[in-house]
Amino acid sequence: MLTDVPLEEEVVLVRIDMAGDDIEPLLERGIVPGCRLCPVHRAPAGTPTVYRVDGALVALRKETASCLCVRSALEAAGVLDPN
Amino acid sequence: MSAARASGERTPAAAPPAGLRQAPSDRFPRVALVGPPNAGKSTLFNRLTGLRQRVANYPGVTVEQRTGTAVLPAGSVEVTDLPGVHGLSPRSMDQRVTRDVLLGRMDGGRAPDAVILVLDATRLESHLMLAEPVLALGLPALVVLTMADELGRRDGALRASALAQELGVTVALVDARNAEALEPVRRFLSALDMGPVSSGDSRACPVAASPLAVHGVPDPAGRSLPVVDLFAGRRQRARAMGESAGFRAPRPSPVTHRLDAVLLHPVLGPLAFLAVVVLVFQSIFAWAVPLMDGTEALVAASGAYLAQVLPEGWFRSLLVDGVWAGVGSVVVFLPQILVLFFFISILEDSGYMARAAVIADRLMHRVGLQGESFLPLLSAYACAVPAVLAARTVGSERDRLATVFVAPFMTCSARLPVYALLIAAFVPAGPLLGPVMGRRSAVLIGLYALGLVVAVVTAAVLKGTLLRDRPTPFVMELPPYRLPTARSIAVRLAERTRVFLRRAGKIILAVAVVLWMLTQVPRVPEGGPPEIGDSALGRIGHVIEPAIEPLGFDWRIGIGLVTSLAAREVIVGTLGTIYGVENAGEESLELQAALQRDLDFGSAVGLLLFFVFALQCMSTVAVVRRETGGWKWPALQFAYMLALAYAGAWTANVLL
Repeated sequence: MLTDVPLEEEVVLVRIDMAGDDIEPLLERGIVPGCRLCPVHRAPAGTPTVYRVDGALVALRKETASCLCVRSALEAAGVLDPN
Repeated sequence: MSAARASGERTPAAAPPAGLRQAPSDRFPRVALVGPPNAGKSTLFNRLTGLRQRVANYPGVTVEQRTGTAVLPAGSVEVTDLPGVHGLSPRSMDQRVTRDVLLGRMDGGRAPDAVILVLDATRLESHLMLAEPVLALGLPALVVLTMADELGRRDGALRASALAQELGVTVALVDARNAEALEPVRRFLSALDMGPVSSGDSRACPVAASPLAVHGVPDPAGRSLPVVDLFAGRRQRARAMGESAGFRAPRPSPVTHRLDAVLLHPVLGPLAFLAVVVLVFQSIFAWAVPLMDGTEALVAASGAYLAQVLPEGWFRSLLVDGVWAGVGSVVVFLPQILVLFFFISILEDSGYMARAAVIADRLMHRVGLQGESFLPLLSAYACAVPAVLAARTVGSERDRLATVFVAPFMTCSARLPVYALLIAAFVPAGPLLGPVMGRRSAVLIGLYALGLVVAVVTAAVLKGTLLRDRPTPFVMELPPYRLPTARSIAVRLAERTRVFLRRAGKIILAVAVVLWMLTQVPRVPEGGPPEIGDSALGRIGHVIEPAIEPLGFDWRIGIGLVTSLAAREVIVGTLGTIYGVENAGEESLELQAALQRDLDFGSAVGLLLFFVFALQCMSTVAVVRRETGGWKWPALQFAYMLALAYAGAWTANVLL
């Protein structure tokens, strides 16, 4: 889960566990399976977390980030073509 | 401003909202600016049109329509700045409006003659995802890639000509802040046919539509494909296009990263946030005051001058006591609004607003709102009118409505004169916590806190009932930090001034005139105006007396409540007039004595509570109507707040 990733560790998005139209705001911003995400800042309250994705900074709440299933970018490099 | 052209064009749009259904001008080609938020669309729009802009709401919705005229040597072009969107699916109000405008379902069924797609070059690949559905519409198009300077500075690269080949339309790589960089945009606009057309004609246009429209894109509506695959495919094609165009993504901005390390820091972040909050608070409370005093003095002086030069009679009374006093009481808030919007512009344009929202998000999320609601609610402590306008920064429509709904509960500065008068009359001075806090200031802080608590509870209730929405994912973009430009701030302030004066001014003018007339009739036999108790307004006071009698108020307070509908602080002046006390001001002892005579402790507390809760402010009602696109929300808000006010005052009167 994306919430478990420590700051500054790049990961690759595998799957979004969310229903129907709800995921469009994510998809439209390039958060699609295969994209790279990197948590860079965490808000003082612990959530939301700011991620670097596709050249942009995007803040996601814990509840949203927990629906994003990811794997380490290093691990994915050999197994899965990032993007 | 090219006066003749601009004013000639303005006329058809002068009767909103129905007037907007007609094209503002059928004579000029129309071009729509489309692009994701923060891509530099509005900067480009301001550059192209300067102050030749109009702001109005699209009919029936609350999305703002910004239209302006770009004057070129070859003629004029009507430019529309559409709301920032990431896609064209009708998921949000902004996206629905954008799609409908592009498809010609708005603006009298006429689609724009061309689109300018504004994308951020530093984020080319994800922004190109929007190019696909937009270019597929088949309108003549120009793609403007902004932030060219930023791309170069951060070691990014891109060949615009190669991308143009890929997309099949002209691509201009520009720095939208730089005037001469707009040449390709002007060339594109000049190439549009400037001749008069009859509405509905398809223009013979020398600028091309993208071949994407011809070759087609796999199902732009996305009905047959699962939505994830649709977007993943779009992303893949955007990436391939970027690769062919030699796109090298820029390094993350080191300045932004370093600033965020401080401004989102667990300790320094909240401190910086607090500093900004204090600064905004201080500016609207303290620094705007000299400006407001100046405006007030100006209004008073010009009123006095008018009173002097005009012959005595009903016209002078109407103009000076009615129009001048009424409209003046609103114009006085303009400096406060401008100071607030000055700060909001800086916070937004610099990119800090999004960081503030991230920091406040947890707090606001608890009461069911978003972090973005924090600043509008804070500014409501000065005045609900700019707060309601500022709520536009709230992304989700339901959260924006909830923010607008609860904003008037925050103690605005217009309540302060009323609180000050009643507290001075009914709360004996004296220390409460030693020298730190007096009894009177404790009551004042209590009133502020009460408003806040009710706002929070109301927001939570609303979000649990009427404005309940499915838990949609919270995605907020943090734009890179940028230095705000004086030009964009000036344009924003000018635009807000115009909107405020025109819209709120109209209603206030009407209320002021009606109130004045009610104090003037019926005429006494000698022909002069009646005593206020005998006037139509006085009679209304007597009529509503039974309704407010359970609250411990008599007809005088009743009239004060009625006149305070125009603006809360008006009750102070009204009561002053009614009690026949000279120089009724906040500190007036005579007025306090009169109040002590007519109100007991319970009803005085009741009156205070009434002012904490009730929505006695026609400016707010007018602005809420405008911002929610109808009477439903302001009516509900007014009724709800009145019910709370009545219940509160009644309880106080009965119990105390």
